[in-house]
Amino acid sequence: MYDVIIRNGLVVDGTGAPGYRGDVAVKDGAVAAVGAVTGAARAEIDAGGRVVAPGFIDPHTHFDVQLLWDGAARPALEHGVTCVVPGNCSLSLAPLKAKDRERLVGMFQVIEEMPPEAFTQAFEWSWEDFAGYRDAIAKHLSINVAPLVGHSVIRLWVLGPAAQERAATADEIRQMQDLLRQCLEAGTVGLSTSFVDIDPNGRPVPSRFAQFEELDALASVLGEYGRMLQCVPEFYDVDITIARIDQLAELSLKHNIPTTFSPVFHNRSTPQNVRRQLARVEEQFARGARVWPQMQTRPIDISFSLLRPSLFFARLPRWVRILRQPVAERLAALGDPETARKMVEDLGPDGGERMMGGLVVRGGDAAPAAYVGRTLSEIAKERGERPAEALIKISLENGLDVAFLSASQGHEDTAEIGPMLAHPLVHIGASDGGAHISSFATYGDTGYLFSEFVRKGGFLTLEEAVRKITSETADIWGLKGRGRLAPGQAADIVIFDPASIARGEERPEFDMPGEGMRYVRDACGIDTVLVNGEIAYAKGAYTDARSGVVCD
Amino acid sequence: MTLSKQRRFTTPGPDETLEELAARALPDEGLEEACDKIRSWNLHIFAMRKPAGLLLGSDVVFVEPPQA
Repeated sequence: MYDVIIRNGLVVDGTGAPGYRGDVAVKDGAVAAVGAVTGAARAEIDAGGRVVAPGFIDPHTHFDVQLLWDGAARPALEHGVTCVVPGNCSLSLAPLKAKDRERLVGMFQVIEEMPPEAFTQAFEWSWEDFAGYRDAIAKHLSINVAPLVGHSVIRLWVLGPAAQERAATADEIRQMQDLLRQCLEAGTVGLSTSFVDIDPNGRPVPSRFAQFEELDALASVLGEYGRMLQCVPEFYDVDITIARIDQLAELSLKHNIPTTFSPVFHNRSTPQNVRRQLARVEEQFARGARVWPQMQTRPIDISFSLLRPSLFFARLPRWVRILRQPVAERLAALGDPETARKMVEDLGPDGGERMMGGLVVRGGDAAPAAYVGRTLSEIAKERGERPAEALIKISLENGLDVAFLSASQGHEDTAEIGPMLAHPLVHIGASDGGAHISSFATYGDTGYLFSEFVRKGGFLTLEEAVRKITSETADIWGLKGRGRLAPGQAADIVIFDPASIARGEERPEFDMPGEGMRYVRDACGIDTVLVNGEIAYAKGAYTDARSGVVCD
Repeated sequence: MTLSKQRRFTTPGPDETLEELAARALPDEGLEEACDKIRSWNLHIFAMRKPAGLLLGSDVVFVEPPQA
């Protein structure tokens, strides 16, 4: 007797092989049979007209905090994602000494836009080591988690405040190696590092103070376990990114490890940049190095209001400082003519036309109806103001609750991006799920892959798209027993309608601790999601299943 | 497999100053000129960073101009 039989679906098994009409049987959390299945089950699912595929794997997320109160990493699970990799970009919630929590929380807030309440209202911070964090999330998981450990926190554990001041000594590097071994033994699937991120004071994060020798020493430990090294390079400069590719290749070859970097995105104004990166990756793979460029599927759009800090202002320190103040102080600063004048000046002689003129008033509870859907440039002209001035004044006039959309910031040229996503060396990921929550919805990239690049553009076949986000990802990351529909594999399964799978419209949701806002997207066309053999999501609703695990 | 030529770079040593790095990377140049070149080829460190010129152990420091 099987636990579940999924009947009459188009079985797309994750290998890239042609789909075929068949059944999938599940028993004890694993796939038991695939093809024409006879016998009975405690439950049957009719998948007629739908695809039955392995659950999707999202290799670049920041669900570290959310997993402590939401074991489904909502809404990732309902988009067909059955395994997430948190802990990217040098930041994880362990190992971390209690005295260093405030410092790390500040980094999560500024880099990932996590509100303070996310750390104070929804869970008890009871651990210091990685095993403790693993145990804290494992209690209620309904999605699988393959966590990375962050280089910055490893450095912070060993060096304390000096982690953001100096190089490590040989003894300190040995301590970091020992700590990384402990994390790997406790279930982390690799190490993440960052070459770009800054803390709330504008100080580079700890990983950036490491000499290459330190990274090399840590990579040697990854080599003992064959585990991943992830990094975020200086993506704004292609020459530096190529230098990072070469560094990663050196580490990959020397220690026989996989490496990956993200984000890789296409920009119409500098289309040659991504081509140069991919050309270098091809050269390094030809030498035997594994340097996986990680590319997202969705265009880059940013929404913001002056109610919350936003990465839209990342290159405007005065704006960042003011928008990080409590609301009362923020209102006072924005209402002060001298401060507002300096803020407008920061945009340059055009008063913000180039940076802000194309912004569209998106909405928000208090947005004037006459402005919604129009560009700031038009509105500013009408008001006799400069765009940056108009943005400040319209926000002030409406209690700051006016949302602006900066659309098409890059990676929106489907004809260019489609072939890149289909490239055999491009690793589909970089979703940033769970991060930048008040700037854009980091969910639905998988649905967008199918709607935009399979169904509409035809750049990948259905089977190839499934393979790229299932078995290929599992193989790159060394996730054993996942990513394929075959007997003995974990029964992570998604059933979806190939004609309608897509991502929903971006919308604000107030479900963060303290009723904090984040942007989300609902799934379209996803029928059922099984995690380790249990139905975790079906017909638009989450179940009580808690069958997720920390992957090995 | 021979790699195509890319822009050459170095990384700073522990506590290495700009002057020390410039002398190491461009030994045939006068010190002042070497420092000027390093500054102009590495705006990500000398213009974009706060504080400007803070050398980090992980930095990519280009020791030649961008390729044509």
